[in-house]
Amino acid sequence: MGVNGDASFVANNGLHHEVFKVLLDADEKTGITAITGLDLGANIGVYYHVRTSKSFFTIKAEVPKENPRLKTLIDIHPGALFHELEVADLMGAVFEGNELKGHFVLSENWPEGVYPLRKDVDLSQVKFVSTPEHETNKSAEGREVKIIIGPQHPALLEPEKFSVTVDGETVTKVEPRIGYVHRGIEKSTESHTYLQNTYLVERVCGICNPCHAYSFVGTVEKILKLDIPERAQYLRVIALELNRLHSHLLVLGHAGLEIGYETVFQYFWRDREPIMDLIELTSGNRVYGSLMTVGGVRRDISQDHIPKIKSVIESLRGKLPFYRKIYNDEPTLRLRMKDVGTLSREDALRLSVIGPIARASGVDIDVRKDRPYAVYGEIPFKEIVYTDGDTWARMNVRMDEVEESLNILDYVLDHMPTGPIRIEAPRSVPPGEAVCTIEAPRGELLYYVRSNGTDIPERVKIRTPTFANIPSFLKTAIGESIADVPSNFVSLDPCFSCTDR
Amino acid sequence: MIAMIDLLLIFRILVFPGFTFILFLALFCEWIDRKLEARIQNRVGPIVAGPGGILQPLADFIKLLTKEDIEPRDTKKLVFRFAPLAAFTIMIFAMCFLPIDGASVLSSGTSIAESGFNGDLIIILAFATIANFLLFLAGWASANPYGTISSARVLTQFLGYDIPLYIIALTPAFIAGSLSIGVIAAGVPYILLAPWAFVLFIITMQAELEKGPFDVPHSESELVGGLETEYTGAKLAFLHLTRDVQVVFGSALVVTLFLGGPSGPVFFGLDWLFHTIWFVLKLIVVVAISAYITNVFARLRIDQVLTGNWKILLPAALLSLMLTITLVTWVYHPFGIGV
Repeated sequence: MGVNGDASFVANNGLHHEVFKVLLDADEKTGITAITGLDLGANIGVYYHVRTSKSFFTIKAEVPKENPRLKTLIDIHPGALFHELEVADLMGAVFEGNELKGHFVLSENWPEGVYPLRKDVDLSQVKFVSTPEHETNKSAEGREVKIIIGPQHPALLEPEKFSVTVDGETVTKVEPRIGYVHRGIEKSTESHTYLQNTYLVERVCGICNPCHAYSFVGTVEKILKLDIPERAQYLRVIALELNRLHSHLLVLGHAGLEIGYETVFQYFWRDREPIMDLIELTSGNRVYGSLMTVGGVRRDISQDHIPKIKSVIESLRGKLPFYRKIYNDEPTLRLRMKDVGTLSREDALRLSVIGPIARASGVDIDVRKDRPYAVYGEIPFKEIVYTDGDTWARMNVRMDEVEESLNILDYVLDHMPTGPIRIEAPRSVPPGEAVCTIEAPRGELLYYVRSNGTDIPERVKIRTPTFANIPSFLKTAIGESIADVPSNFVSLDPCFSCTDR
Repeated sequence: MIAMIDLLLIFRILVFPGFTFILFLALFCEWIDRKLEARIQNRVGPIVAGPGGILQPLADFIKLLTKEDIEPRDTKKLVFRFAPLAAFTIMIFAMCFLPIDGASVLSSGTSIAESGFNGDLIIILAFATIANFLLFLAGWASANPYGTISSARVLTQFLGYDIPLYIIALTPAFIAGSLSIGVIAAGVPYILLAPWAFVLFIITMQAELEKGPFDVPHSESELVGGLETEYTGAKLAFLHLTRDVQVVFGSALVVTLFLGGPSGPVFFGLDWLFHTIWFVLKLIVVVAISAYITNVFARLRIDQVLTGNWKILLPAALLSLMLTITLVTWVYHPFGIGV
C-alpha cells in the first residue's frame, strides 16, 4: 500500500537504518521531515517521512507492540533526535541508542507506560502521578551555573523551558523541555469528522493557520483523489502568501523588540496592519480565515477587491528599500545580529533544519520549488538563499522573501482564471493514507492522514516547522554569550504552540 | 531686610527656580521625550490628559502615588525604602546648582558668571554619581534576580562612563579658565569652539543616563523591569521621577557647558524670565537630540557597551582634552576667544 501521491516502501527489522544510510550517502540533502507513530493493532508502525533534493517518500517500519524496539537514526543523522523522542513519548516505541528519560511532550505528572496515541489506551482511567519538584537556578559542578529560562520568562512570549548552563558568560549546554502548551490536538482529531478537523487544525497555530488548514485538506484531497478547480488553487495561494507576508513582518518587527530596537518594531507592525486588513477582506476574518475546505475554498474574492489588494502591495513595496537598508546596513543592528548563532551548512544538513533557517545557511530547500503544490509550479519567483548562516542572514532571508511574496501575489492576481471555487467532496473518506508538505512561513509543514472509510480520520500526524528547527538553536547557542540567546532564539521565529500541538 | 532675603531664598528653593519648577520641568521633558519618541515611531503618544497629553506624566505620577505599596519579605527594608527618595533628593539638589533663571537657586548673584563658586562643576558631577550609586543600591536591596543583574549593570556602566564624562566636562572649563558653572555658562556657547567635545559629551551623557543604545540596565526582553522590578506605588513613582530629573539634569548640563546656559538676548528688564525661556528652549533641543539617538539605534550588548567605553570613548575623550588644551593655550586665549 503506497502513501498516495508519494512513494513508500517497507523496511522492517532494522532495514530502515540501512536504507537511510544509503540515501544519506547518495544525496547530502537527505533529511528526516517527520516520524509518524501509528497504532496498527498488534504492531506499531513507525513511518519515516524522508525528503531528498527533489523527491519525498516514506520508509515504513513495523515493530510488535509487546517489544516495540528499533534502531535509532541519530548515530547517522542527529536531526532525527526530536522526532524519535516524540514518537517514544506518545506512541511508546523504543529507539535503541536514543532512550527517552521522563517525558518529552507530555507533562511531568503523566504516568509512565501510558501512551496516549495508542488506540487501546483508556484515557479516562489515567492516574496522574505527583509532579516532581521544579528545577531552580543552581551551581553545577565547578564554575558552571545553570540558568533556567522559562517556562515563564520575559523573553519568551509562550511557555517553554530551556535550562542553560553557563561558564561565566559563555553557554556550554542547553537542555530544552517542550510540551507546556501540549493540547493533544493529534489525539483530538481522531474523534472529530474531517469537516470539524479542518477548523481544529487551524487552532494549532494562530499565526500560520491557513498553512495548517491547507496542509490538512491537501492530504484529504490526495486520498479522495479530488481535482481541485484552478481558481480555488489561486485563491489558496493568495491566502498562503498573505499569511507568509504577515508572519514575516511580524518576526522582523519582533526581532527589533528583542534587541531593543523599538522603532523597527513599531514600523514593521504598522505595515503589517494593512496585510491583516487584506486577510480580513479576502477571508472575512483578521486571524482565523477558515478559507480552506476539502474540495476548494469557501469564499471568492470579487473583482473590486483586486485594486485594493494591489494598492496595499504597491505601498508595501515602496517601503521595502528602506527596511532592507535597516536590516542590511544599520550598524547597531549588525552588531547585535552579525555572527550571532552561526549555523554552518553541514550542521544545517545534519540537523534536518528547514525553512528560512536552512536557507540562511546555504541549504536551498523550499517546498514551493522542490515539490510544487497548489499552483506554485507555474509562478515565477526566486528562492532566497544566504550563506552567512547567522541571525542576520536569517532575518535577511525573511526580508527578501517579503518582496518575493509581493511578486507572487502580483502574478497570481494578474493570472487568476475564472471558474468554480470548490467542488463537492464526500464527507466520508475511503481507506488510504497521504502526506502533504507545504512551505509555511517558518519552514516545511507536514501533515500525514490515514483514513479508515468513515468520516473520522484514523490518525493525523502534524509536524510543525519550529519543532524541526529547535535543535539548531541548541547547537548554535553553545559557545556564545548568554546575552546573545534572545536575538539568536527569536531568529528561529519560534512558535511553541505549534511545537507542542 | 534680612528677613526679605530669607523669604526670597525660600521662594527660590521651594518654588522658582527650585523644587516645584524643576519638578514640572522634569515632567514636561518626559512629555517631550515621550511625544517625540512616539512621533519618530509613527505613533501618536499621549493625547488624553491635557492639551496634547501634556499632563500625562503628572497623571502617571499621581496614579502611582495612589497604588498599593508592596515590600517583598527578603528586601533590605531600610535601603529599599530610602534609596529612591535619597536619589531623588540628591538629583534635585544637583539641579539647584545650575543657573536656570540666570543664577543658581542657592546664589544671590546678579550676573550669570557670579552665580556659583569655583569648583561647583565637580560637585554636581559627584552628586550625579552618588545618585546613580543610590539607584544601584535600590535595585540591589530589592532581592530580585532581575533587579540584581540590572543594578550590577548600572554600576558597571556608570563607573566606566563617569571617567570620559568628567574628562569631557573639563573641556569647557579649560576654555573658560574656570571650574565654576556660572563662568562657563556666561561665556560664548562652547559648542562653537569645541564641537567635537559636544558630540562626545552627548554620547557619553546618553550612556550615563542609560538611554538607548546604552540602555542595557533597562533591557525589557532580558530583565523585565530592571531594578524597578520589585518597586510599587509611591516608591516606584519616585524612582520614575528620579529618572526624569536625571534626564533633565543631564540635558541641562549639556546646555550649561556647551550651549551657553541661560545666556541670550533679554528685553524689558525681565532678565530672569528671558534667561529661563532661553534655558528651557535649549533644554528642549538637547532632549530632542537625545530622544532621536535613543530611537534610531538597537540596544547594544553589555560587553559592547563596555568595550565602546574603554576602547573608543575614553581614548577619544583624552584626545579631545589634549586638542582643547592645545587650542586654548596657543589659539583661543592668545587671541582672546572664549575668555
